Amino acid sequence: MSADAAITARRRGRRKSPLGSRWTPYLFLLPAAAYIVLFQAIPLVQEAYLSFTRTNLLNPTRSTWIGLDNYVDIFTSSDFQQTLLTTLVYVLVCVIGAVGSGLVVALLLNSDFPGRGVARALVTVPWAAPGIATALIATWMLNAQYGIITQALRAIGIDVGASGILDNPQLALVAILATTIWQLFPFVAVVLLSALQSVPAELVEAAEMDGANRRWVFRVVTWQVIKPTVGLIALLMTIWSLRRFELIWLMTRGGPLGTTRTLVIDLYSQAFDSKQIGAAAAIGMVGILIALIVVVGSRFVQSAAERSTP
Amino acid sequence: MAHTTSRRSSRLRAAGILALTTSVVLAGCSTSGDAPSADGEIEPATITFAASTFGDPGLGPRLQELIDEYNQSQDVVTIEPAAVPFPTFGQTVLTQMGGGEGPDLVRFDMPEFTSAADAGLLEPLDDQIDADSLDLQPGPDEYMSVDDTRYGVIFDTSNYVMYYNTTLIPTPPTDFDEFMATAKATTQGDVFGLAFRQTQAEENGVWQDIFNYVYGFGGEWSDGEELTLNKPENIEGLEAYQSLYDADVIPKGADAATFRKMFAQDKVGMELNNGGYLVATRGTNPELQFSVAPIPFPVRAQGAIMAPLVINANSEHKDAALDFMNWVLEPQQQTSLQEALGASSVATVTERSEEQLAETPFLPVYDELTNSSKPQIVLGFGPQTADIRKIVVTEVISALQGQKSMQEAMDDAQAEAEQLVG
Amino acid sequence: MRASRLGVTARMIGVLVILGIAVFPIYWMLTTALTSDADLFAETPRLLPDLTRLHVFAEALTEGPTLIWLANSAIIAVGTTVLSIALGIPLAYALSRFSFRGKIAVGLLLLMTQMLPEALMVVPLFSLYRRFDLLDSLPGLILANTAFVLPIVALVLKGAIDGIPRELEEAARVDGTRPLGVLLRINIPLIAPSIAAAAVIAFFHAWNEYVFAVTFIFDKALQPASVGLAGFIGEQGTSTQTIMAVAFMFTLPAVAFYLFAQKYVVAGMTAGAVKG
Repeated sequence: MSADAAITARRRGRRKSPLGSRWTPYLFLLPAAAYIVLFQAIPLVQEAYLSFTRTNLLNPTRSTWIGLDNYVDIFTSSDFQQTLLTTLVYVLVCVIGAVGSGLVVALLLNSDFPGRGVARALVTVPWAAPGIATALIATWMLNAQYGIITQALRAIGIDVGASGILDNPQLALVAILATTIWQLFPFVAVVLLSALQSVPAELVEAAEMDGANRRWVFRVVTWQVIKPTVGLIALLMTIWSLRRFELIWLMTRGGPLGTTRTLVIDLYSQAFDSKQIGAAAAIGMVGILIALIVVVGSRFVQSAAERSTP
Repeated sequence: MAHTTSRRSSRLRAAGILALTTSVVLAGCSTSGDAPSADGEIEPATITFAASTFGDPGLGPRLQELIDEYNQSQDVVTIEPAAVPFPTFGQTVLTQMGGGEGPDLVRFDMPEFTSAADAGLLEPLDDQIDADSLDLQPGPDEYMSVDDTRYGVIFDTSNYVMYYNTTLIPTPPTDFDEFMATAKATTQGDVFGLAFRQTQAEENGVWQDIFNYVYGFGGEWSDGEELTLNKPENIEGLEAYQSLYDADVIPKGADAATFRKMFAQDKVGMELNNGGYLVATRGTNPELQFSVAPIPFPVRAQGAIMAPLVINANSEHKDAALDFMNWVLEPQQQTSLQEALGASSVATVTERSEEQLAETPFLPVYDELTNSSKPQIVLGFGPQTADIRKIVVTEVISALQGQKSMQEAMDDAQAEAEQLVG
Repeated sequence: MRASRLGVTARMIGVLVILGIAVFPIYWMLTTALTSDADLFAETPRLLPDLTRLHVFAEALTEGPTLIWLANSAIIAVGTTVLSIALGIPLAYALSRFSFRGKIAVGLLLLMTQMLPEALMVVPLFSLYRRFDLLDSLPGLILANTAFVLPIVALVLKGAIDGIPRELEEAARVDGTRPLGVLLRINIPLIAPSIAAAAVIAFFHAWNEYVFAVTFIFDKALQPASVGLAGFIGEQGTSTQTIMAVAFMFTLPAVAFYLFAQKYVVAGMTAGAVKG
């Protein structure tokens, strides 16, 4: 029996033991929770500690305690303001773009038409493509001389400058955002499609037979069912946007002139270029703080929305 | 292969004696992992060798051949290429080594070499390599020690020269003005006169490219003790670099992979690149008509990609690693390594074969430059090179984009870097 | 009637446009893979793939250990998917149905794990893995990937279970079914589409994962395709055509998995469903 099959079997065995109802929740939770604690919580605590130290990547066990110095450096740096702003723009546009387009795509795909299965599978292609390949093909398509996108733009009269889009401080972020949304919308579409499929068809049919207008049906029936999922996806997308880095790193590395430098790019640079994993951990903590604010904020928005609904 | 076998066993014996002596010397310090048995035999082992050049379409297979030759020449040690791809080479290997693991043998680049040596991750080699009996080229070899301890031996060193397409440019330029004129004259239609990296995404590449302009105009980033980023000669060199950028003679926005393909397709006239490029270009387009000449800048000093071979201090098979290292340093292997590398130089002085010279008559151009080449680190600030590099490249790019003058850019860089190194 | 036919046509056009945008870059990968170096820099770009150069794919398959890479990627991805679904379903059920102390904290912790960039986790996980001898092993990667993906899987599934009326479960409980039975016979069939979605999420994440794979694996024979692909990017030259060819081949199995998940997982599970 392979290692992970053995682990799974052992864990399943634990769940089958017939204990009283008070313990059942914990039994259901225990394997997963233990797992998450070991692989995520422990490193998280370690990172929190590291953020108060000066530690070199090459000597990770030797740390010098420097208290809040890393954080002071971060918040007094003028570059950080640009990083923060870029991150905010990136997150907002990505989330709205991906969730919006994903929803539209999910709605389009939620009906019966010939080739539906194939269409749904093809839509996942951007998500399935490996990040390195996406970065390479995007960079090639945006190449200032030979890229197909640049040539197409030139053909309709738009000149993006001699250095191309990725080298243009005004346009580089736009290119990154477009590529990222292209990569992300299938995920949203897949999850929302599965949510749409759990909308009771009878309710929709009944409403339509009563002569109700499409938009009303959507607002009152469909939207109510998928709203929690949309909310969850939006939240996840937001949190994830704070740590997406592969495309940016490979396409522009935070340039030109820092216009695509997000929080996580800065973190990466600190950890692996400057080898300062203490400073990187501090940046990471700031990112987590921002994500926490988003999560708590969304809870408030959610309970406020619930209170206002009759 | 009889003579190889006898040399092999005498080398094994020599290594064994060295290992025995070393193990006695180190017994008090009790480092991890390897204890050769009493009669000096090397423990049979399979060890890993990490080199970013394995992924190179031209060079990779040749390196693999070299390793296969070693593996076949004896049955005690087997070397396997480590699975580390080039794009994340430094960070991957250093993370692994910092964490107590990592490949047994590594071919590093200079900034990472100095960082790793500084952090105590490399095995000191003073007692392991008999440096005096080898005919090591002094120029590059002086950079193999950190704090007076030798940590590496040159695996390959690649000097920067000017590549030019002989169809587009029959006579190469010999000074900077001619260089600029030639670049301009060659740029027409979809052909560019020159190409170099100029984007943040290729920060490391830009750093390598500007070294030639800095050294070539008599400048340097430091004098060994203090940073001299905004030295007048540096500014002069960088302004020359910028003048080429502004003259629109390069395919702006093209990354190195792209413009090197372009060079191979007669779409770029000249390129400043190192010896490794010879093999790569031949591999891409064997029909290309090109040659090389020394870089036509005022001072004959250029950068070189120096790649030390090191032994991981965490390795559990240091004796095996050392055996390979000694094998590579033998004259016969040095010659075949150099042949595999193409235009780069190796640790010792070697002679080019008749066939090599017939195939590539301009090989001596590379070789003659070895001792005037300098490594692409900030001397005296090796471990901080990555940080300084980021600052300098960011400032240079902002000057290229017209945000400030090159003087201002370098003044800002100097201030920022001074603050960083403390 | 006319209105709805217009609607159908508009819908079809919409779908085609979406598919075009989604697939074009991959199509371009294919075309670029099959373009000779000279043609890459031609005045007018080739818009159609040059099928006479299909040997590029054959070379990519035989020259590198591409098949081994794809096999490793498959092992990692399938392992991650199975483990995360197996652990995620009970976790999601507990979060949805049970009230217990610390429930809000657990939910928050799950979300917090999603905030951690991989770069930050690599160093502490490396030393953890070293201590437990999990380095240089595919099960080690499966465990790391599952840790990242499990919270999302649980949250997606929790959302789905939330949508099932409790009456269904109560009816079964009254009949004497234990909680586990309720889970297996009532909930799972009803949330089948979401299980499929969660499986796809887990699969795709593990399939494309790079940072952990490159740092924790030393043995070339265990490399997944995500790392192998990066190996084609060299210092002096990048064999663009080879990368595009391998990338194209790397994308296909993931898409195939989605097709499989859509068709068979959903059909298989709803086949035995207890219609409420």
